[in-house]
Amino acid sequence: MAAVISIAGLEKCFGRSVALDGLDLEVSEGEVHGFLGPNGAGKSTTLRILLGLLRADAGTVRVLDGDPWRDVVTLHRRIAYVPGDVNLWPGLSGGEAIDLLGRLRGGLDEQRRAELLGIFELDPTIRGHAYSKGNRQKVAIVAALSSNAEVLILDEPTSGLDPLMEATFRREIRREKARGRSVLLSSHILAEVESLADRISIIRKGKVVETGSLEQMRSHARTNVAATLDGGAARTTAAPALTALPGVRDLLLEGSRVHFSVDDGGLAAAMNTLAAFGVSALTVTPPSLEDLFLQHYGERGSQA
Amino acid sequence: MSGTPFTGTTALLRHALRLDRWKLLPWLLVFGAFPMMSYAAYASVFSTPLEARALQLSLGSNPAFSLLFGQPGDLGTAAGFTTWRVQMFGMFFAALMAVFAVTRHTRAAEESGRAELLDSGVVGRHARLASAVVLAWLASAAVTALVELALMAAGSPTGPAFALGSAFGGMGLAFAGVAAVTAQLGSSGRTANTLAATVLGTSYLLRGLGDTLDNAEWLLWTNPMGWAEQIRPASENDFRPLLLLLAVALALTALAAWLESRRDFGMGMIAPRGGPARGRLGTWGLTVRLNGGAFWTWGIVFIALGSVYGLVATTMSTVFRDNPFVRQMITFRLATEEQLLFAFVEVLLLVLAFIGGVFGIQVVLRFHAEEDEGRAEWLLSAPLSRLAYAAPTVVLAAVGPALGMAAGAAALATSARMAGSELDTAQVVAQGLAEVPALWLAAAVALFLVGLAPRARAVAWLLLVYWLLLTMFGPVLEAPEWLMGTSPFHVVPNVTDSAPDWTPVLWTLAIATGLVVAGLAGYRRRDLSGR
Repeated sequence: MAAVISIAGLEKCFGRSVALDGLDLEVSEGEVHGFLGPNGAGKSTTLRILLGLLRADAGTVRVLDGDPWRDVVTLHRRIAYVPGDVNLWPGLSGGEAIDLLGRLRGGLDEQRRAELLGIFELDPTIRGHAYSKGNRQKVAIVAALSSNAEVLILDEPTSGLDPLMEATFRREIRREKARGRSVLLSSHILAEVESLADRISIIRKGKVVETGSLEQMRSHARTNVAATLDGGAARTTAAPALTALPGVRDLLLEGSRVHFSVDDGGLAAAMNTLAAFGVSALTVTPPSLEDLFLQHYGERGSQA
Repeated sequence: MSGTPFTGTTALLRHALRLDRWKLLPWLLVFGAFPMMSYAAYASVFSTPLEARALQLSLGSNPAFSLLFGQPGDLGTAAGFTTWRVQMFGMFFAALMAVFAVTRHTRAAEESGRAELLDSGVVGRHARLASAVVLAWLASAAVTALVELALMAAGSPTGPAFALGSAFGGMGLAFAGVAAVTAQLGSSGRTANTLAATVLGTSYLLRGLGDTLDNAEWLLWTNPMGWAEQIRPASENDFRPLLLLLAVALALTALAAWLESRRDFGMGMIAPRGGPARGRLGTWGLTVRLNGGAFWTWGIVFIALGSVYGLVATTMSTVFRDNPFVRQMITFRLATEEQLLFAFVEVLLLVLAFIGGVFGIQVVLRFHAEEDEGRAEWLLSAPLSRLAYAAPTVVLAAVGPALGMAAGAAALATSARMAGSELDTAQVVAQGLAEVPALWLAAAVALFLVGLAPRARAVAWLLLVYWLLLTMFGPVLEAPEWLMGTSPFHVVPNVTDSAPDWTPVLWTLAIATGLVVAGLAGYRRRDLSGR
């Protein structure tokens, strides 16, 4: 599938602090791409470069076959953006703000606008300074989703939304995807990304450290194993045998129960070893997105 | 929950002090430095006390100066001269400092959500208000002390130094109270500041009229600025009005606390109205909407001030007749009465021009605030080029102040003619418009900075203040001509001259255009700052 966004070797510094350090990212047409990382990892900086708000120091950035810095106006007809921290004009009502953005785009889908206001239970007559954080966010979401843009760039769009509205938001994003729109969804809410994204990129210190579908990521990540062994063999012989296997780590013994994690190449050997000692109960869990995420940010945990 | 309504006040105050150290410091330094410089300049300006007395006589009879700076008390001493030069401005800015400080820590903090985090801790109902008012009072006390110390360091006796410092500090106290009340009334920081600034502007005007018009001294007792003026540093050193200011400060703060206990967090007494569900704004409409408040406020200021100036100009005729020096000039045909009157009107128009400069800079900085507060980023994510986004601001910053100048000058001429003076309306308006390139330059400097060095944007204000001080006081202090030439307001020719020299005005225009072009080019190429 064609790429709607492709970034290679992107670098950006603010003074002496390095925000992006050789970032690569590719979003294919029609996919929801989760962009995952904690605050300060460089997510917003990347999105701002994609929108031509910041200029890249080095690297290549293409959006819909254009240069986001040079072709601002033509590209922005095809892109809609939801900022992470929406600040509305204090004196303008939410409806006026939505229509202002719509007018700049040369019109919006009237039917969709009305529908979205209903779905998100947003009162458009309230003035900017009187909206809560979640409602300000909804104003930007309605403005973006009622546009006819092909690409949606969403920067932590659900911050401030309550769980019910978050579910509504996920449903709407799935509908957008079904209509063939491509979505770049930056977030630090793992459940949101896990349920929406076709592919995920994890960013750390200005670099994408892992990218792919959740299945692909799982396949070369560590699997958690918990087993209850027969008899007293566990402590004396099973544990040393398991530890000796390549790829087995974090082994923990609790009476006759043994926990460990194993990388994808070592799973078969570990199962054989366990079977040889006699297993009365066994759970094998594939890594969750949280496990994957924490593996990449493990260093932070060990330093703390 | 245990504790009093004031539980947590000291903790909040400490927090506010830490937040504000760098915000308050420049104000304090300016308050200390200006009186000191003025005091030190006295000896070099007047070689004999006689010269000073002569200036006092001519200034005392000049209503334009009384309107702006108050009645000169005793120019025979350095302290008296300093008082005349800095008292009104000092009082005005001390009040403004207090207003901003109180609003920042009450209404604006509530609005931004900063307050909610702190107030959900162990904090009494009135602790936030109390800490903000106490902060402003401490700052006012610091101003008083600084002015006193600076003047004494320059050689002033204690009495006048303390009196002048008290006039500043007293205004700070009283207007901290005003802002405490307006912070309860308005539901946004901007509304609260605007309401308080309106009270201050009205005070300034009432006091000015009290100083200028005949039999209108009672007007000085109607407002805090009049009271603070009545301390009359260096001549009377009367501290009784200070008690009045203190009483008002306490009464207003108590009123604010009462209002606060009757409203909900985040809400104002003036309930926010809803807006339309649909909108038809584009970038032009948006820019007009965002600046609408400022446009009408300044429009009213231009017309009101112009009308008042018209009345003041009319009283000049009496002055001419009473002043032997002026009578001599007229007798010897060195100048006609019309010429003298017009020269006087020129000075009045200059004041309007500075207000126009403030307006223009404000429009440009409003544009930058949109970027600072993250709204520009959202707008520019739509198909909108940066130049197209900036264009309405550039046009409004050029047209708005020019319209204001024209309206103000027309109001001046009209009210003067209605009061019976012989002023040519077309000439007055032409003179007013001749000042427009100078105020464009002020706005152009602001745009240049926003485009290329947004962190230094406050320099535009400093430059305008420098031009104001230089143009107003330079001639009195006999500043050299090359120095005077650095003010675009000074180089404007008199349009009634037989051959007015427009070259400097064309230069002003050229520089302004260059700055706008450079600023826009910079804005187009630089990173947009986000939140």
